Amino acid sequence: MRKRSEAFPVGLYGMLLFALCWLTLPAVFAPLERLLLGATCIVPRLAAQFLGAPVQAATNTPVATPAALLARIAEHDLRAPVSLQATGLVPLHCAVIATGKNGGGGQVAELLLDHSYAELAGCSELVTKGDMLLGTLATRGRGPAALDAPDDPARVLLLNHGASRPQYAAMRTADGGALRFVVRAAASVDPAPLRVDLWDDPYRAARLQRAGDPVFTIDLPELPWVPPAGLRLGSSRIWGYPGEADGAPVLLGVFVDPGIEARALSHVVLWRAAAAIAPGQRAAGLEGLHGIKRLPGVLHDLPGVSNGRHLLVVEGAVAPTAAVVHEGRLLGSANGLAFGAALMTSFTASRQRWSLLLLPDDPAAPPRELTAVVVHTEGDVVWLRWRGGERERLPNGELFTGSNGRHCPAGLRVGRAGPHATELDLLEVTVPQASGPFAVEVLDGGGP
Amino acid sequence: MKRWLLWFALAPQTFLLAGMLRDLGLPRFDFGALACLYLAFFAQRPALPWLLLGFAAGRCLVDAASLPVQLLVLGIPVGVLLPLRALFFGQNWLALLGAAALCAAAIPRLAALCGSLFGQPSMTAVIDLGSMLWTTLLVPPLLWVLRALPPFAQFEERA
Repeated sequence: MRKRSEAFPVGLYGMLLFALCWLTLPAVFAPLERLLLGATCIVPRLAAQFLGAPVQAATNTPVATPAALLARIAEHDLRAPVSLQATGLVPLHCAVIATGKNGGGGQVAELLLDHSYAELAGCSELVTKGDMLLGTLATRGRGPAALDAPDDPARVLLLNHGASRPQYAAMRTADGGALRFVVRAAASVDPAPLRVDLWDDPYRAARLQRAGDPVFTIDLPELPWVPPAGLRLGSSRIWGYPGEADGAPVLLGVFVDPGIEARALSHVVLWRAAAAIAPGQRAAGLEGLHGIKRLPGVLHDLPGVSNGRHLLVVEGAVAPTAAVVHEGRLLGSANGLAFGAALMTSFTASRQRWSLLLLPDDPAAPPRELTAVVVHTEGDVVWLRWRGGERERLPNGELFTGSNGRHCPAGLRVGRAGPHATELDLLEVTVPQASGPFAVEVLDGGGP
Repeated sequence: MKRWLLWFALAPQTFLLAGMLRDLGLPRFDFGALACLYLAFFAQRPALPWLLLGFAAGRCLVDAASLPVQLLVLGIPVGVLLPLRALFFGQNWLALLGAAALCAAAIPRLAALCGSLFGQPSMTAVIDLGSMLWTTLLVPPLLWVLRALPPFAQFEERA
């Protein structure tokens, strides 16, 4: 019997199997993890008592989204085409608090907004950003929003969502003419989020050779729910085989690439009739961290600080991946444990993909929404590998968080950013480092 | 009971102790490799799952991935090395050097694999040749020291 247990250690393999079950049902075992790690943190917490007092007390001043960033975002996001302005609708700028399921092209297809369905009553279903049509506001009680309550964050279905309505669109061709077609969500394995269907002239469409032509919505007056003409959907992308030396290329399909990374979207614009705005109601929607609670806490360094892990002692429960902020600057994200403790991973040591906003120094340049991962850290300088929009040399500017979930909103300062000397997809960011202990605030956006 | 209390109070903190040693100037090494070697070659077999839990909780203090991911990252090398105990029992320096090298190479790769599979990117998933070398060289002597100290000594399997 003893020999059999030596050959096959049931307990060890049972624990590994249990770990797999744990990862499959994380919510079920989360209290156990919080309890165990909370108890583990008691010893370092006791040690932290002897390692000095916090340098300052937590303040009650609001964690404000820097006004310059908000103003620049609004300036560019609210630039709608004339056709949309002529409808008499008033723009309502909303922040994105989370992204949802993936759709066409394997990209994010759902957004959750910082406004509830009740707050957005009377809004048109159009969701835009600048001159671009992003998607539609989900109707509560139908489709993906079937189980949503009036006070739940409103859900936006991007055009690559399977439940989104197809759009009538057109693009100018190289011969000076125009092709009209229907744009609908692509499959998740397709090379772009949207695909083109139902051409008005399939023969000409089959001879398309040039990609990158802008695709716009067209007006169909007989269909009242069709969005105004002139809203940009993206640019064309041709999929097929290159032609032989003496033959034309073989076209398999035409897709539309919106040219944005949906995961990086931090703000979108909704439209509603001016009469629908009740007195006292949020009209512009741009007051920063709407509905975010702040918990005061003290951040302690853990030994081996190069690991980028910190112990957080906080009054109250910390939500998963909550942002930890010091004087409006993002320090990292924390996970709450039992006994008033939490463990924070600093931004510089994190390996998660962040949604970020780059505010260029040039006041005329639009803020850049991008996602990035920290690839290397050296002292105060971190290198991020970014993506989102055109692959080009990014300008110098100030880097802020974009939308990183309910508990890490857009507009928290990260540091000074500039392009890498040689590599286009690297961003060099200077993040001031300080050793603890010091007072911090932990953000809690409510909800799950 | 007393030894278990001591284990869960002290064993997780050894990961912080390793960080403290690094802050004091010791080269960067992976303490997870030391944990794997202790469990695979010296710890009492019936106690293995709970000893592993203590080490996994300790690794959570220095790495952002969740506790079950740490269980897999540390537990899989232990599962692989455990059958070798029949061949290399005791402080067999050569075997321990080889096993330490194996763990130093496997742990970051497992952390990267689990991170991508379960959406929990880990800061320890970076392959660092210097760290691997120092892990190989430092872990066997450190293990020899730790085995003599509580709570490690109380859980050691006797021949």
